[in-house]
Amino acid sequence: MSRIPPPADVLEAEPALADEPGLAPGSEPVPRTNWQLFRRRFLRHRLAVVSLVILVLLFIACFGAPWLAPYPRHPSAADLLLGTSGGPSAKHWFGTDDLGRDQLTQVLYAGQTSLKIGLVVALLSTVAGTIVGALAGYHGGWIDQLLSRVTDLFLIVPSIAILAVALKKFGQTPNWILIVLAALGWMYVARVVRGQVLSIKEKEFVDAARSSGASNRRIIVRHILPNCIGPIMVNMTLAIAAAIIAESTLSFLGFGVQPPDNSWGLMLSQAEGAAAEFNRFYEIFFPGLMILLTVLAVNFLGDGLRDAFDPQSEH
Amino acid sequence: MNDLSFAGASDFVGAGSEPVLSVRDLTVEFKADDGVVHAADDVSFDLHTNETLGVVGESGSGKSVTAMAILGLLPKTAEVHGQVLFDGANLVGATERQLQPVRGDRIAMVFQDALAALNPVLRVGDQIAEAMSVHHDLTKRELKGRVIDLLDLVGIPQPGRRAEQYVHEFSGGMRQRTMIAMAIANDPDILIADEPTTALDVTIQAQVLDVFERIQERTKTAIILITHDLGVVAGIADKVLVMYAGRQVELGTVDDIFYSPRHPYTRALLASLPRLDRRHGDERLRRIKGQPPSLVFLPPGCAFHPRCEYADLGGVCTHERPALRDVGHGQLSACHFAETLDERTPSVP
Repeated sequence: MSRIPPPADVLEAEPALADEPGLAPGSEPVPRTNWQLFRRRFLRHRLAVVSLVILVLLFIACFGAPWLAPYPRHPSAADLLLGTSGGPSAKHWFGTDDLGRDQLTQVLYAGQTSLKIGLVVALLSTVAGTIVGALAGYHGGWIDQLLSRVTDLFLIVPSIAILAVALKKFGQTPNWILIVLAALGWMYVARVVRGQVLSIKEKEFVDAARSSGASNRRIIVRHILPNCIGPIMVNMTLAIAAAIIAESTLSFLGFGVQPPDNSWGLMLSQAEGAAAEFNRFYEIFFPGLMILLTVLAVNFLGDGLRDAFDPQSEH
Repeated sequence: MNDLSFAGASDFVGAGSEPVLSVRDLTVEFKADDGVVHAADDVSFDLHTNETLGVVGESGSGKSVTAMAILGLLPKTAEVHGQVLFDGANLVGATERQLQPVRGDRIAMVFQDALAALNPVLRVGDQIAEAMSVHHDLTKRELKGRVIDLLDLVGIPQPGRRAEQYVHEFSGGMRQRTMIAMAIANDPDILIADEPTTALDVTIQAQVLDVFERIQERTKTAIILITHDLGVVAGIADKVLVMYAGRQVELGTVDDIFYSPRHPYTRALLASLPRLDRRHGDERLRRIKGQPPSLVFLPPGCAFHPRCEYADLGGVCTHERPALRDVGHGQLSACHFAETLDERTPSVP
């Protein structure tokens, strides 16, 4: 009988295999965990690293405004009487507005609202989109049909108009802006996640998980979604940029944040008179620059994350 | 058993005890554009504790489909009939909710391609722990201890460190052993291994098979080993089920199958293999002429007759489907001439 001679003992046969990758004693340490590989790939993306630094500094500056801002947020009447409108100077780096308020201080405080809206909207819409997309992609059939058609419906409604009406109804506070923007922003993530789940659920490790007795929910949460984390993260960064721009647009049109709250979009809107006068360019320039900087940095960060999450990416 | 024609089956290894799994007339059909695909047709066997059943056949002979049908893992498009009796219940037609406690805990499965069947973004240890926590409430500490014991049991060196790694950092043999560790994590009654050694080189293959034998010694688990490698079957199986075109053509002890095969297909398979235990210096290896049939358009009568050297062409073989029957001390064969094969002269190809 052609019996294959088994080795005397598997455990004893092992040392011959000791030079397998990752455990060779004495060799130089190679990054092994996914996290180490991820970090190495991300650090290779210079623009993304710079963007991350800029974003971190922006966050520190804006949310540290009570300590960092050169002037108080709400200057007293006396201060305002003394102050004058003027361009950038050593005393007022970003200039002062027509009320004599320091623009740098205003930009920092306004950034709190803009960044908060960007981040929270991205988070909410990503979570909602992931849930919808995962359920649609995993279950297929009528569940997919229903969820996909609802997604399509939300995609085709004129969102700016809906936003404006909804905010007029609920009140133009930052919290309502958050909720309404998230309610109109989850569809992109849902579509991406659905596509990802459609392809990943065909992988054999999903069958293996099913054969180990895992329930559908467990398979989605523990086995499929961890494999979608790259695209989800990237779409979340894109959603941050989209939310900041949407908030700016709304505020500029007068449907967004209302004083005494402030945002970069609202600052632009309040400076609309400056558009006609070139010597007051700084009133538009600095809030605009902040929006541009944030959105660009977030987009580059998304690029970097996409490459870093993709093990096949090589530079 | 309720089916008298299988009384002979109890003569096998593990006789006397109740079978842990009884498959009866298991049929799997898929509706395709050009007809019905008969992926598995009337498969029946018993499996006892501490017994290893080898299931052999060519690609597309219904081996994997049978295994998947046992655990209800086939897609919804599959029509499954017959009975899979386990623990007093029929698993055919059971709901997902009813099957989930059985899967992984009572009947576990080892897949062929371990790299594909292990999740690339989960640490190996977490993945094995996951297989346990599906069924049992264990603390993180207990899980970790169990994971290391399991990795050690299947012969993975430095299990503590290896548990922290990812699949892509494992060699092929270690991946397959990890799959096995995952499958035996809950001490299942039955282990179904679908071509567990096909992707491995011969040395690693031997090590993996040895792991199976050691597991069986320890836990008396019944094993269904699906393979197209008769060498593997000869080495490890107690009983062999030979399948052709979705049908069961022969079932017998490993000695019956290798030394007195009672079906022309089994004979042809063996004749196509180099054997160390028989000297036929002048005899060349023989191939089986022709191709396996389409599962949609099966030949009438015996599905093997167009390729069979013993066939009574135009006679009973082309017109009548042979029944699976006892051809002596429990060996089952589905050939019209099973008893008289030795007297028939094979046609020269």
